[in-house]
Amino acid sequence: MIFRKPLENIEHPEMPADVVIVGGGPAGMACALRLSQLIDQHNAQNPDSQLNKENVYVLEKARELGQHCLSGALLDPRSMRKLLPGFEKEAPLDAEVAKESVYFLTEKGKLKFPITPPALRDHGNYVISLNRFVKWLGGKVEEAGITVFTGFAGSELLVDGNRVTGVRTDDKGVDKQNQPKSNFEPGYDLNAKIVILAEGPRGSLTKQLIAKFDLAKDRNPQTYGQGIKELWEVPAGRIAAGEVIYTMGWPLTSKEYGGAWIYGGKDNVVSLGFVTGLDYPDPRLDPQHVLQDFKRHPFVAKLLEGGKMIRYGAKSLPYGGWWAIPPLAGDGWMIIGDSAGFLNSQRLKGIHLAIKSGMLAAETAFEALKSSDFSAVKLGDFQKRVESSWIKEELWKVRNFHQGFEHGFWRGMFHAGLQQLTGGRGMRNRYPATSGYQRMKRLADLPADGGGEAHLLGPAKGDGKLTFTKLTDLYHSGTKHEEDQPSHLIIQNTDICNSRCIKEFGSPCQNFCPANVYEMVDDAEQPHGKRISLNPSNCVHCKTCDIQDPYQIITWVPPEGGGGPNYDGM
Amino acid sequence: MKILVCIKQVPQKDTPLKLNEYGTWIREDVSYEVNEPDAFALEEALRQKEKHGGEVVAITAGPARSQQVLREALAKGADRAIHLEDNAFVGLDAFNTARAFAAAIKDEQFDLIFTGLQSDDYGYAQTGVILAELLGWPHATIIMQIEKTDAGIRVKRELEAGYFQFVDIPLPAVLTIQSGINKLRYATLIGIKQAKNKPMRKVSFDDVKGAVTGNLQKIERLYIPEKTKNTEYMEGTPSEIAKKLVDKLRNEVHVL
Repeated sequence: MIFRKPLENIEHPEMPADVVIVGGGPAGMACALRLSQLIDQHNAQNPDSQLNKENVYVLEKARELGQHCLSGALLDPRSMRKLLPGFEKEAPLDAEVAKESVYFLTEKGKLKFPITPPALRDHGNYVISLNRFVKWLGGKVEEAGITVFTGFAGSELLVDGNRVTGVRTDDKGVDKQNQPKSNFEPGYDLNAKIVILAEGPRGSLTKQLIAKFDLAKDRNPQTYGQGIKELWEVPAGRIAAGEVIYTMGWPLTSKEYGGAWIYGGKDNVVSLGFVTGLDYPDPRLDPQHVLQDFKRHPFVAKLLEGGKMIRYGAKSLPYGGWWAIPPLAGDGWMIIGDSAGFLNSQRLKGIHLAIKSGMLAAETAFEALKSSDFSAVKLGDFQKRVESSWIKEELWKVRNFHQGFEHGFWRGMFHAGLQQLTGGRGMRNRYPATSGYQRMKRLADLPADGGGEAHLLGPAKGDGKLTFTKLTDLYHSGTKHEEDQPSHLIIQNTDICNSRCIKEFGSPCQNFCPANVYEMVDDAEQPHGKRISLNPSNCVHCKTCDIQDPYQIITWVPPEGGGGPNYDGM
Repeated sequence: MKILVCIKQVPQKDTPLKLNEYGTWIREDVSYEVNEPDAFALEEALRQKEKHGGEVVAITAGPARSQQVLREALAKGADRAIHLEDNAFVGLDAFNTARAFAAAIKDEQFDLIFTGLQSDDYGYAQTGVILAELLGWPHATIIMQIEKTDAGIRVKRELEAGYFQFVDIPLPAVLTIQSGINKLRYATLIGIKQAKNKPMRKVSFDDVKGAVTGNLQKIERLYIPEKTKNTEYMEGTPSEIAKKLVDKLRNEVHVL
């Protein structure tokens, strides 16, 4: 197996940049648009000291804007109303939330919560397709004259001492053997005054940055969930546009964290999905299987009956909250959106925080450009802006929410209740957290038949109508990559997969990957008769493998730009 | 050489498609891309220009979203672009698209016009050929190679069953290019940035309306084929089965 690695002795063309935003999701786009607005305002007022937008760039690894954006999604309009007052009139919104309910599911039954918990009250929010929303927002950015490079990933951070000096884009035209093809194009070195990382959860450059400057020190480890989503078209009258349903409980047991959403969109399209906390104990658990089980519940099956699944996708999301957020700025860099961990795990919402953090970073970058000061002190203003904004206010109240669930559902409910009464404090100011992969148990310590979790384990079978195998689901993600390229999933040492992991954990990569990238294939020469094999072209860029592998030997790096899922309408 | 390349924006391959409510075309909420044979046509034009000098101009007809294919062409090295921009161009048949193109370029002097062999959506393979007819130029289809000669060009056409045909053609001429004729280049960051400042001429539907007539071809109905499966078992000795199978393939299925 040949893994992607930087080619040696390659000249990289250089391009100067003022600001490079890595990632064209809601955070990156809001950041670019806000920066453009500030520069326009400044230029209108200061004819003698003009600032230039020419060298503000956004890199987006998807072939088109929005194609890698996946969320439920509900939009809390708070930050958008500031960014583009009156945006509701023209943005692609499916419906305003009109009705919400929360259920606790047992295998066949359901208990409706008598009142909707405050955190899950969504009146005033909008059901949206994040894909369509970001496409629209990106259009605004391009109209404003900011250059968005779609189909280009940030593959390496350029660092000089303590300063981030730019971003190198991906090499294009590298074959399976990691050799240049006849149409090879080396990545560009974008030498930037400010690099803003907006890569989404578990960003690959953000990971490099955190490791390089030891940014996880004194923080809780980031914890994650994996969201699996299907978009359905159902017969008219099943669910109104703007109706929102949350469920807890079945098919998960009290040992796993997670829950489902069902959102009614327009044209009888239903968004449904299941988020499974990536801190489950049994390595045989398969989150895609969890969603299939969920759909078999009579309540859900009835809703979907006679409908058609039209799209599938998967994405990780950061659950860790306030205590897991790394330092937000340093010499030449800032981190925004899900890359920083701006997500409210109690409300299951992050888009409004991503947008707000992007706007605050833009305001910081604007001041830095005006004073030509890109130091840690100057950009450190971003940290202050976040801490004095409603981002902190919102996240502070739920700072211990997810940690409260580390010891199961019922204790979690107790802590959540207590935190509600104490302004987020609960038992103490800061609850510690454990990385999810460390909570995975060895097969020897688990019942061979799966015990109470048996129904969740291993691959889903799929009846082809209501439930689907992973490969059928994957087909509906529109995933496509250049086939002739090295594997962008880098396994540090495959001996661990073939000799240790298979025995100790039963190769959980096959289960947690929602896209059948990882396979154990027969190989008589291996100690346990099987060896790891990769199908990188299937990858939906969810980053779960990088997060959840129990030995932390998998590194996700961007494949050739332009490849990946196509989340049209998701 | 001054070369015009006709580029069409088509729904992205492998996109799950949904029919519109009349069942006459697909719903438009899909991603689009450059029609694949047109990408090879553009690449070939750029290579000819690199060899012989001249100019490469990209043209497309379609709504605002289709500007993307021209931006890509400019980013890869086309010198300028012509956009026949209007929703009304979406439903035109090959004949009228060719007429609209002919009208839009009436004041230009091209040596060559390239189109892709056919489009990935309609697959008519007619626009280029009709355009040649309207202009009164010679044309050749399914082009695998182009060489400049003293008198014009010599092209290699792909025929059936591995055969090729070489044809000498005077200029100006229209060629429809086969996929795989070359290896596509990538757009570069600097190319994308420079593309922003390259000229793009807009042509409205009104500008060419005089040249366009009612469609001669129309899609009556589009439907997703229903999957049917029919399994038959044949019994007998292997040679009897072989005989029955040949009989079936020849006389019932008509594939032999």
